[in-house]
Amino acid sequence: MNGKKLLMAFVLFLFTATAMHSHAQTAEITVKGKITGKDGLPLPGVSIVVKGKSKAAALSDADGTFSLKTKEASGVLVFSTVGYSIKELAFNGAAANLSVQLEESVSVLNDVVLTGYIKQKKSDITGAISSVRNKDFKDQPVVNIAQSIQGKVAGILVTTPSGTPGAGLLVSVRGSSNPLYVVDGVPMISESNSSLATSYNTDGEVVGQGQNISSIADINPDDIESLEVLKDASSASIYGARAANGVVLITTKRGKSGKTDFSFNSYTGVQNVARVIPFLSSADFVALTEDARAQDYTLYQQDPSLFGDDFDSRILTNPLPSSWNTGVNTNWLNEIFHTAPISNIQLSARGGNDKTRFFIAGNYFDQQGTVIENSYKRGSFRINLDNKVSERVSIGASASFTYSRNHRSFNDNAYTGIVTNAIGASPLEPVYNEDGSFSDYTEYQASWLSDNPVKSAKKITAYTSSYRFIGTVFADVDVVNNLKFRSSFSTDYSNINDDQFFDPSTTDGVAVGGKAIKGLFRNTTWINENTLTYQNTFKEKNSLTVLGGFSVQSSKINASSIRGQGFPAGSGLQNISSASSITAASDINTGWGLVSFLARANYSYDSKYLLSASARYDGSSRFNPSGRWGVFPAVSAGWVLTREAFLDHSKWLTNLKIRASYGLTGDQEIGNFQYLSYWSPGRYDGYAGLRPRNLGNNDLTWQRNKMFNIGADFEIAKGKFSGSVEYFKGNRTKLLANAVLPATSGFSSLTINSGNVENSGVEFSLNAYVIKKKDFNWNASFNISFIKNRIKSLYSDNELINAYTDLFPTHILKVGEAVGSFWGIQYDGVDPQTGDPIYNDLNKDGVIDDADSRVLGKATPDFFGGLTNDFRYKNWDMSIATQFSVGSKVYNLIRATYQTLGWSDQGWDENGDLYQVYANNAAIVNNRWKNPGDKTDIPRASLIFQNYLQNSSQFIEDASFFRIRTVNLGYNIRPKSRKVFSSLRVYAQVQNLFVLTNYYGFDPEVSSNGGDAEQTAGVDYAAYPQARTITFGVNLNF
Amino acid sequence: MIAVQNTKYLIRKWSLLLLILSSLAQTSCKKILDVVSPNEVDDNTVFTSVDGLRNARIGMYSSLQDRNYYGGYYQLVAESYTDNGSTGGYDLIDLNDLAGRTVSPTNIYIQQNYNAIYSTIYVANKVINNIDIVPNLSSEEHDNTLAEALFIRSLANFDLLRFWGEHWDKSSAYGISIVTNTDAPAQSVARSTVEQSYQQIFTDLLKAKSLFNSYQGNQYASLAATNALLARVYLYHGDMQQAADYATEVINDNNYALFDAADFQKIYTNKLTEESVFELKFDPQNTSFFNGATYLRDDALRSDVTFLANADLNTFFESRPDDQRSALVDFINNDVSIEPDGRSQKYRGETAKDNSAYIIRLAEMYLIRAEALGSVDGLADLNTIREARGMTELTNEDVAGEGAFITAVLDERRAELNFEGHRLFDLVRLGKVDEYLGEGVNPIMPIPQREISATNSLVTQNPGY
Repeated sequence: MNGKKLLMAFVLFLFTATAMHSHAQTAEITVKGKITGKDGLPLPGVSIVVKGKSKAAALSDADGTFSLKTKEASGVLVFSTVGYSIKELAFNGAAANLSVQLEESVSVLNDVVLTGYIKQKKSDITGAISSVRNKDFKDQPVVNIAQSIQGKVAGILVTTPSGTPGAGLLVSVRGSSNPLYVVDGVPMISESNSSLATSYNTDGEVVGQGQNISSIADINPDDIESLEVLKDASSASIYGARAANGVVLITTKRGKSGKTDFSFNSYTGVQNVARVIPFLSSADFVALTEDARAQDYTLYQQDPSLFGDDFDSRILTNPLPSSWNTGVNTNWLNEIFHTAPISNIQLSARGGNDKTRFFIAGNYFDQQGTVIENSYKRGSFRINLDNKVSERVSIGASASFTYSRNHRSFNDNAYTGIVTNAIGASPLEPVYNEDGSFSDYTEYQASWLSDNPVKSAKKITAYTSSYRFIGTVFADVDVVNNLKFRSSFSTDYSNINDDQFFDPSTTDGVAVGGKAIKGLFRNTTWINENTLTYQNTFKEKNSLTVLGGFSVQSSKINASSIRGQGFPAGSGLQNISSASSITAASDINTGWGLVSFLARANYSYDSKYLLSASARYDGSSRFNPSGRWGVFPAVSAGWVLTREAFLDHSKWLTNLKIRASYGLTGDQEIGNFQYLSYWSPGRYDGYAGLRPRNLGNNDLTWQRNKMFNIGADFEIAKGKFSGSVEYFKGNRTKLLANAVLPATSGFSSLTINSGNVENSGVEFSLNAYVIKKKDFNWNASFNISFIKNRIKSLYSDNELINAYTDLFPTHILKVGEAVGSFWGIQYDGVDPQTGDPIYNDLNKDGVIDDADSRVLGKATPDFFGGLTNDFRYKNWDMSIATQFSVGSKVYNLIRATYQTLGWSDQGWDENGDLYQVYANNAAIVNNRWKNPGDKTDIPRASLIFQNYLQNSSQFIEDASFFRIRTVNLGYNIRPKSRKVFSSLRVYAQVQNLFVLTNYYGFDPEVSSNGGDAEQTAGVDYAAYPQARTITFGVNLNF
Repeated sequence: MIAVQNTKYLIRKWSLLLLILSSLAQTSCKKILDVVSPNEVDDNTVFTSVDGLRNARIGMYSSLQDRNYYGGYYQLVAESYTDNGSTGGYDLIDLNDLAGRTVSPTNIYIQQNYNAIYSTIYVANKVINNIDIVPNLSSEEHDNTLAEALFIRSLANFDLLRFWGEHWDKSSAYGISIVTNTDAPAQSVARSTVEQSYQQIFTDLLKAKSLFNSYQGNQYASLAATNALLARVYLYHGDMQQAADYATEVINDNNYALFDAADFQKIYTNKLTEESVFELKFDPQNTSFFNGATYLRDDALRSDVTFLANADLNTFFESRPDDQRSALVDFINNDVSIEPDGRSQKYRGETAKDNSAYIIRLAEMYLIRAEALGSVDGLADLNTIREARGMTELTNEDVAGEGAFITAVLDERRAELNFEGHRLFDLVRLGKVDEYLGEGVNPIMPIPQREISATNSLVTQNPGY
């Protein structure tokens, strides 16, 4: 096997490298001293190494003293720690009393960044990597770590498609969605695995992807020390076949030697719906209906033929029946929204000694949704341990267990969901009848609903419970000098239970005496990774790191579900065994495996010229055995200009590095067993049989992402200003696409490699310590990204895609346009004379139909970014994080319900009495056309004619926005005596304070059609609105 | 010297490690990468045993049950385009377009119907093309299974032809794409002419007829079902004597009998009655979509019910006061919000939702023979059906002239077969579209745009789209 040869070659190479480097054995000497930092205080935790001899290293103690043993008779000591400049100090022979004073620094050049299997100093990095530290996201009242980096990292677009707690997020790295998450070296399953993440219509048919929940939410953000995003192909390609959409490396906190530090973090607060769509009151609703009738009657008098032969004009003139006079004025959104509490408690301890270090943490998070009955609770534990067995061997473990229970908001984002039903419900309908029972929506004036939304919320219960264990054990062995071997075994075990029950009183359950769905999902992943790292410095200036490794991963997945109906009336029983009949059962077992060989070499000459190369050789079970192996290589180079003579010691430009990289990454996310033609079970007449499932494709291979990146990192005035500029051009080829097959094939599509999408863009980020004084600091960081996504070729051009299978096509895949482009008829406004809507007759055939459709914008922004300002004045601190996005659009599908302008779906009886119109309307219809000459873009009201067109740009809205995402104000107490506690911070925070946008729906950041479908992104089907959260919190360290 | 010793020691130690690593790689690579699906069966193994063939045979019927074929939507979509049906549901354009009789080539319902029918043809073709390689297969089972597959292929081809082809015009080029091969499924197949399409169907059916050797009940394809389908196809093709002859074969078959006026509703409340020649059976674990789409439950709203009965069907039955079949359409006991629409009562399985698809019924045979024989000889058959549904017999004077007789047959077919997917095709083949559905209504559906794109326009669009 090729892989074996590669491994052998690599190990042989390491031998040679190690063998070549022999040592002169000399006597050991000891260098001792004391390190002080700011204000002359002792500085613990400083790393001291002999330059060029990474073996000879020590750490300073709590009192700043250190003791270093080395076999070198003389050399240079290098002192480094976070927040201080590196200091070099020559020594010659043993010393007992060195005094070292370090200077404070805001430079991040010496920060150590995880770059995939190895760590590098930021100054040595040659790829495009962004890192986010704990301080940048801590204390935010969010479930999902990805949510807290919104607007903070250039090139990363994080969209919250729904405000439902625990919702999946749309994370896009340089225009490619769904990066690979790696937590402490364990590649995570990150997809939504709940069987309730599907939208059903009332007949139980799947109509689209509903609201995902994200399994990244199983990682408690408080446990995270840092997060790195590998953006370009050269940095990500070490993750090979899964890295095409970027890689997010998450590192959790680990122990440190010294006194045990306890940390207590807690916040509690309230959430409200940030923006509510104002709806018509009962009086306005009646007025709209009367206006619709009056407008139509005027037209009828002019030209009755427009209304058809059998038209009964009494519909327009009969007084409204008494049912229109209930005296009730229900604001349905107020009935389903409420002010909801949120709270979080975390207690952690980290400490240890020279031999053993630990971090333990427990967390409880409790969030109620802003929609009634909806809640999310999560409890988690973590233990991270490190032990130094001997000089050469250290071992460790990381383990986390998370339990979460999500009381789902039923059918979030779909036809019969709670929010959807509340939109357009008649304000004349009370929530409850006088006897306390739920009102029957069929007796009131809106025909759009499928149930009383409050009843849906209370009588349809859906729970998703998740149990997740992620654990690793590892050993690090210093095999010989400069050569380290690391082996780790990890597991990611996930178990999800879904339970949904439709009470017999609900629309969905009434006919069958109640319905229940029970789902079970189980994933077990095992990973073994082995790496050898050789690190050495030759002749002082040549630094070389070589890494080679071997990794195996195997996942087994079981997903089963069972449906039952007919529950004992009045018994309250909901368990599936009390159902009178089982209507469906499914049980799917699947799995996949990945075997990888990886290699990487970094070379630097004098920290001036930097070179890096890597390759990963991946074999995946998802492809045909003859084509399942792929190589993913990358190269990059950097040149630190400020270390050249002509720029050396420049007073203002303290660092300037230019770098370029090129690499190849892959994507294997096509589902399992797609290369084979399979038959799956089918039944008839009580017999089990088989029917064709798919058409296999033997040629199926990795989707590839080739990316070229050039960038510059700069630092001015020792870090007072620092930042990066990047230009990238990525070419995603051999896209794993569902090729449309002719129906005559017997199948609708075939998974193939075809098509080519280009992502290119410019990213800019800047961090500035604008003011840095003793009592006042102001730090600003800004980032902006311009990303262009363009389809270069497709297997089948102009493919129309439906966000919901039973709706009209909403999107198109078209060469030259972006992925996620909207498709429909252009709306040209209102005729000021008649009040009728005008649609663009593109093909000039005199008829407005599908043939007049065109591209009407795209779901992705032209540019986006964020600005964060941190202030500190004496003991006060304040942080304001803002975010912006410009150029994206949203297909506001649900607006075609709440802007129906009085239209009725034949809701009258044979006497011409009007019972029902389609739906109540949002207050925006108050701007409708009323009299000839009115200039507005909302057409006139009409009972008979649909003065709106659902698949037109009438409902495709500009979703550009500026958002004040976080405002946090804190007060710090640092007692002189640290006996009771070492620091205390109390704070108040507002999340999602304000959004400036022209978008009319709840929120411009929306994607009802699941969290991850980039081809059908940006549709709004009454997504769960986002909350504004006010919290008060405390951070106590003791 | 020390360095050399070190190196030797190292090589020993490393060789061990290398050995462990590579053996690990060797064994685990194979095991980890050769994952087989525990849920499905590889295509290559299906036809390697008699059991496999039997599984595929069941799969053939299972694919007929697809929602978008005889699971409900093939008949219901066709009905919604006529004066029998209408559409409800949420305000969906593609659905409204069906009732508005202005269907666009991107209509999702039409596209799904088209795909589902070809999926059925694919399974049938798989059986037809592989049955000869199945080892140890008795010749009886071989012939019978092959006949079933041929029947299902012709049923599907004919369903395609009458929905998307100009089936009334034997000289038309707008037939269907005929697929018989399963070797290169992705290859585009151009449309055959209407006459070629008919000939393919006749060839398959006549071959099936010669092969059947046992009767397995009316939930399976049979010799009688083949005769019945031949009668239907010959009628559409205009071969009246052939149509009458094949209808006679079915009518004379002892397995089938007409209910009387008191009992005929059993067709819809019971399963697999003696009036059914071929009925697709569903069960509560394997439900159909008829109930959910047409009836659902008493208090369901217009928006819950996708396919409603047209007010015109009510008017039609009001002119036939004695007709017991009017009880199968309800325009009274519905929520006010769904007026003036009604509901078909043929699929009232609101709890089990396992309503059958009535693909061929005996009554249709009488009506085919009546139509084929004409006003003089055919009146008796027409009256047989009228009598069985509580109506008085018509006299020769009532139906004097072929025009009046055809109208009577058409009305009888409407009364008997509404919501079973016949009305549109009857109106089209008898040239009555303008009269009943309105001027300019296209008699056939557009070929899905998706198909035209996928075949680079090798498959051509129908006139008028």
